[in-house]
Amino acid sequence: MPPSPSTPKQSNGPSANGLSRRSFLRTSAVLGSGLAALAASLAPLRHLNDFPSVDQFLQKYYKELTPEEMAKVLKRIEDEVEKQYGLLPHTAHVRDRKPMNGVEFVYALNLTRCIGCRKCVHACVAENNQSRTPEIQYIRVVRLPHGSLDLEKAEHNYNPETVPEKGYFYMPVQCQQCKNPPCVKVCPVHATWQDADGITVIDYNWCIGCRYCAAACPYWARHFNFTAPSIPKERLNLDMAYLGNRPRRQGVMEKCHFCVQRTRVGRYPACLEVCPVGARKFGNILDPESEVSYILRTKRVFIQLKEEMGTSPRFFYYFDV
Amino acid sequence: MMQAIRNYFVFLGRSGRMAFVGDWRYYTWMGVLTAFCLLGINAYARQFAYGLVVTGMSDEVSWGVYIANFTFLVGVAAAAVMMVIPVYIYNNEELHDLVIFGELLAVAAILMCLAFVTVDLGRPDRFWHLIPGIGQFNFPASMLSWDVLVLNGYLLLNVHICGYLLYCRYRGRTPAKWFYIPFVFIAIVWAVSIHTVTAFLYVGLGGRPFWNSAIVGPRFLASAFTAGPALIILAMQVVRRVTASAPAAEAWLAPGQAGAAHTPKGRPATLSDLELLARHLAELASVPAELRQNILVGAMVLEAKAGDVFLRQGDADKVAFFVLKGRVVVKREENGRLRVTRSLGPGEQFGEISALAGTPRTATAIAEEPALVLRLPADSLRKLMTVPQMNKIIRSRMSERLLITDRALMTLRSIVQVSMLINVFLLANEVFKEFYSGNLHVASSKYLFLGLHGHHALVPWIWTAIVFNLAAMVLLVLPVSRSLKWLNVTCVLCIVGIWIEKGMGLVIPGFIPTPLGELVEYRPSLNETLVCFGIWAFGLLCYTVFLRMAVPILQGRLSKANEGQPALGLGGVAAQP
Repeated sequence: MPPSPSTPKQSNGPSANGLSRRSFLRTSAVLGSGLAALAASLAPLRHLNDFPSVDQFLQKYYKELTPEEMAKVLKRIEDEVEKQYGLLPHTAHVRDRKPMNGVEFVYALNLTRCIGCRKCVHACVAENNQSRTPEIQYIRVVRLPHGSLDLEKAEHNYNPETVPEKGYFYMPVQCQQCKNPPCVKVCPVHATWQDADGITVIDYNWCIGCRYCAAACPYWARHFNFTAPSIPKERLNLDMAYLGNRPRRQGVMEKCHFCVQRTRVGRYPACLEVCPVGARKFGNILDPESEVSYILRTKRVFIQLKEEMGTSPRFFYYFDV
Repeated sequence: MMQAIRNYFVFLGRSGRMAFVGDWRYYTWMGVLTAFCLLGINAYARQFAYGLVVTGMSDEVSWGVYIANFTFLVGVAAAAVMMVIPVYIYNNEELHDLVIFGELLAVAAILMCLAFVTVDLGRPDRFWHLIPGIGQFNFPASMLSWDVLVLNGYLLLNVHICGYLLYCRYRGRTPAKWFYIPFVFIAIVWAVSIHTVTAFLYVGLGGRPFWNSAIVGPRFLASAFTAGPALIILAMQVVRRVTASAPAAEAWLAPGQAGAAHTPKGRPATLSDLELLARHLAELASVPAELRQNILVGAMVLEAKAGDVFLRQGDADKVAFFVLKGRVVVKREENGRLRVTRSLGPGEQFGEISALAGTPRTATAIAEEPALVLRLPADSLRKLMTVPQMNKIIRSRMSERLLITDRALMTLRSIVQVSMLINVFLLANEVFKEFYSGNLHVASSKYLFLGLHGHHALVPWIWTAIVFNLAAMVLLVLPVSRSLKWLNVTCVLCIVGIWIEKGMGLVIPGFIPTPLGELVEYRPSLNETLVCFGIWAFGLLCYTVFLRMAVPILQGRLSKANEGQPALGLGGVAAQP
């Protein structure tokens, strides 16, 4: 600051009292307008509709919940869903589906049969209560030219009158349920983990939304709720699981979980049931009699996507030779 | 104990109050920054309400300009260490005061880093899940959990080191070496670790070939040690500017002008003058009576009016001074500008270095207010320094001064120079490996440098960065950048070039194309940009406040000795209240 010894101090009042009163008035004026400006800048928070309740904010980590606490949490979530979607009481069911003993799930997909109809994509959206706007889909079907598995040649937005098209084959990609999942490794808060049946699940109430898992996943399987998801009330699937298809909130990650709400009670995933050509096979690899065990035993060639990553997927692509 | 706590709070309160005192330039600057902060808060409130959908990010490009800025700023924070190493390992005195400025910059940069990660979170309300012991901390598997530890640790280390050094300076104490030197050395290693960990955040992802390269870590360090010191060079020149005054306003500079400046009148010193000094300089009590008598030979007491000059820059006289009463300001002229290097109160010394070394005066000392000053011949000073306690206090105070010399800036220039050469070299390595082998993984690099399938949003950016970096490199190796004007240009080129190269140029192409080969581009939204401006303004605001507190303490204008007096401006006179 340049010295200005010759300029008299203009702000000095006639007395110490006057000075302090003046400075008090000035300080409060500055403070007041500052607070007003801060309040004005915070105005968009009025549109906040996802403010966590105390129970939501303090909810414990999935693995630390006692059965009683879990029951309470499930009840609370059911109430939340019913309230949010204007449903009648006791219509929504959220259950905590645990892995079954002696089960390790594996998916096998026949690339010779797949015709690229994307029925699996939409069955998955309906089953798993995925957001319609903005659109979130767990399965991405890509079209590849015959003879190449180079994903850089993949066409994501193919849209012909009829499928299949000559000269192309189709490859649906979803979470590969890796044995060595990079997403689990990088999550800073253990919000995603691999369960005993090999399914990598997410605690939607624990995820902090850093999206590191999305950066780590080599299969683009993880999808983020950039805003609050929206599902038409009448389309809501009310048979839900905590780690599965219950509606998600804004700012958390989600992905394919092999339909835990179905498969952990002995049913097939929705994508398999809808497949019109029987390209999708699913089952317990630990059971030598299962269809997937038979396929992996007998098919000469099958592909684990990006095998060189060392992720060791539980999702196998094969061909009818 | 209570007294110590009280003292500390008085120190905090007085330094804190400095943040609200300044001239019109200071208020304008702070006002503009506050306005940008508010705009940023407004934009973030919108994001908080509607979600990250208001940014340009998508499932395809799931990190954007927030993480880009975070990455750049971790580098800036780490670079503070480049000031520390020369001072503490190579005993480079020129950079001594710059250490504190560097560390304060590190603190501001880390605060900005934490802000950038927080605004990137989808659920900031769940931040407590990240707190070790309370939440679920995936350590050591997740590199992000490492980042949480090293960044917060680095913040604490730097707050401790500069907080302690400034408090000691404020109290007029010699800092206890054991209480900060070990932390300085920990901080050196830690600085390297924060940036390496941030690089590993990317390097560890096998699914993203663009990042999965061992050279990213070294590149991060090289670019950090370029951009960080470059930023400090610019910031230090701003500090020099605002602590400087125009020579024309200083009457004493023109010795020919009659009546403009006086040499104070003197009388021989007596033992009672030494008693007066001992009141402010407790160590004098250890000087035996016969030695006191002895040093009075040739000693004078000068009674000065405000504006009287005790010694002039360039003079060669062999006397040292101790202030008995009043205040003395020491100013140094460099490149036609005057800078206050220190302000002294009772008990403090000046002029001792030239007296002992016989070198010309490096600065001019003027009475700031009516003052009583003891003038000792160099011989007397030497005798005084045969007493160990006196020797210790005099020596420790010799290094206490705010000097940002051109030579210090040139030392930083050579750091920037070497780092930029290494940075460009490493970038060239990366580019060679990507393009020469030409395997499938070159897609991201192609997208970045040349554009891919008609998508080339980043191409103009990266070539701007390359041109800036190369221009800066050429300027740095040419002698032209020894002139401050060109050095400033060079620093700006470095900072902008590296911000693009390791921010947008590193984070975004990692996502393009997606692992499934889809090409979706990213462009930051207006809202996202406003949040970034807000955080940058917040960081600059913090750094300005830190400097506003540190500079008067380093100058000696804000000290325990002058508690109860009105706050002082930076330049010389008392600031308007």
